[in-house]
Amino acid sequence: MSEPWLSGRAAIVGIGNTAFGKRGEFAERGTFALAVEAIAKACADAGISPQQVDGWASYSDDAATPAALAPAFGCERVRYAGMAWGGGGAGMGGAFLNASMAVATGQADYVVVHRSICQAGGSRFGQALARSDLSASMPEISFTAPFGQLSAAHMFALASRRHMHRFGTSEEQFAEVSINARLMAANNPVARFRDPISVEDHHASRMIADPLRLLDCCMESDVAGAVVVTSAERARDCARDPVYIAAAAMGAPYRWAMGMMGGGNMSDDDFASAGQRTVAEDLYRQSGLGPDDVDVAMIYDHFTPMVLMGLEDFGFCGKGESGDFVQEGRIRLDGALPVNTHGGNLAEVYAHGITHVHEAVRQLRGCANNQVEDARVSLVVGGSGPTPTSAVMLRSES
Amino acid sequence: MSELRPGLPEPTATQITEGFWQAAAEGRLVIQRCRDCGAHRHSPTAACYRCQSQSWDWDEHSGRGRVFSYTWSHHPVHPGLAHLGVYNVSVIELDDTEGDPVRLVSFVTGVEPGELEIDQAVELHFDRVNDETALPVFRPSRTP
Ligand SMILES: [Zn+2]
Repeated sequence: MSEPWLSGRAAIVGIGNTAFGKRGEFAERGTFALAVEAIAKACADAGISPQQVDGWASYSDDAATPAALAPAFGCERVRYAGMAWGGGGAGMGGAFLNASMAVATGQADYVVVHRSICQAGGSRFGQALARSDLSASMPEISFTAPFGQLSAAHMFALASRRHMHRFGTSEEQFAEVSINARLMAANNPVARFRDPISVEDHHASRMIADPLRLLDCCMESDVAGAVVVTSAERARDCARDPVYIAAAAMGAPYRWAMGMMGGGNMSDDDFASAGQRTVAEDLYRQSGLGPDDVDVAMIYDHFTPMVLMGLEDFGFCGKGESGDFVQEGRIRLDGALPVNTHGGNLAEVYAHGITHVHEAVRQLRGCANNQVEDARVSLVVGGSGPTPTSAVMLRSES
Repeated sequence: MSELRPGLPEPTATQITEGFWQAAAEGRLVIQRCRDCGAHRHSPTAACYRCQSQSWDWDEHSGRGRVFSYTWSHHPVHPGLAHLGVYNVSVIELDDTEGDPVRLVSFVTGVEPGELEIDQAVELHFDRVNDETALPVFRPSRTP
């Protein structure tokens, strides 16, 4: 492996988002209008005109394409356009890797990373899988959906159950992730779910896919978010203090394949994981940073157990130790590793990871609602999902 | 339409997976086996993960295995599936395979919530979808 040439050569200079709505709330506006609003706000935050954007990076097959966005803003030219594979928030860090490479190598000056979700127009993920006309382009699904594995909750329940079996991880420990998210959101005026919850509330919530209850699952949302990425040189001339991209990485371990969407033929350790073991290795190597350097972490929380497995993949504790790690209060705001200080997917909004990046940027700018004192390094972990998964490491100093 | 779980989507065969579904319709479970190194693999794909050979055969399997993980689905993905009630999705690891463990997503019949356990021994049977298609499914093993 070569030297980490890319580290620190790209920076985030602007963030923007729409209001956070429940699923279908912004149906009348639609995905594209939400994307435009978030991108315009991110550019305003950076102190640039959207017309200066000459590169586009997104993930999860976002419906707002450069072909439509560039003319909407009257951009003079498009110089870079890149889509990261991976469903849901899996490709989030991949989009930042693409944006970083594009600006650091001079392919583009300002690349916008964006994700827009407005779900009323399309069918839910599980409903799409339940259609009888299974696409021949997704042959893997024929080995899962006809047997009733249809929703993301089913898939991640399988990993969660295996983790419980092997390591004694408990539902109380899953609950702690949700309790922490609500405590953080209580101090976030725009979060969707701000009422504190107890272990009893968690256990009383209805079962979705055993062992996952309603309060283990994030809630689908209508939302768009955008981030402006530029070179470290240009960043110094922007309106805000730059937040440097210490590293971005995408990948998957041996035979991870479609992750929990597939048949589960990865190793046993990786089955009971978020699939980010190799992403963590690459991210740490490329950033020159390790778990002890991370002041605050945003760990993708579509389902509570995936935060536990993410903590293990990124080496904050040993394999199988994450349950005790969270139960001892370590991810709370006053803990050793505050996690998801905005409330995350579980309590703020489910935006496929882009709002996790926003919160990391606020922490490193020193303006978060739940500010971690002297936060200088923040890890943002993308969603566990099909290959590739991904992550970003941000730092306030170049 | 699955007899056991009506309403779920039917599998679609591709050039590579056709043989799996043809065998299932005949009441046989077949697993891809590399002609060069003998490794079994699932789901079917075009090359051997171990030796990269693109040459392979279908190998009939006894259908004996163990529950590797499971979930009980309580919430219907859409209202049209509410009639299914609480059902399990299980990952079954097959006995006696060559190479990395071979696991299938399927379900276990004849068990109620609370009765499934990881490592439980299971055996194969089939859920008829139509004349051309059947799903390999499992039930608790009746023989030790
Ligand atoms: Zn082989």
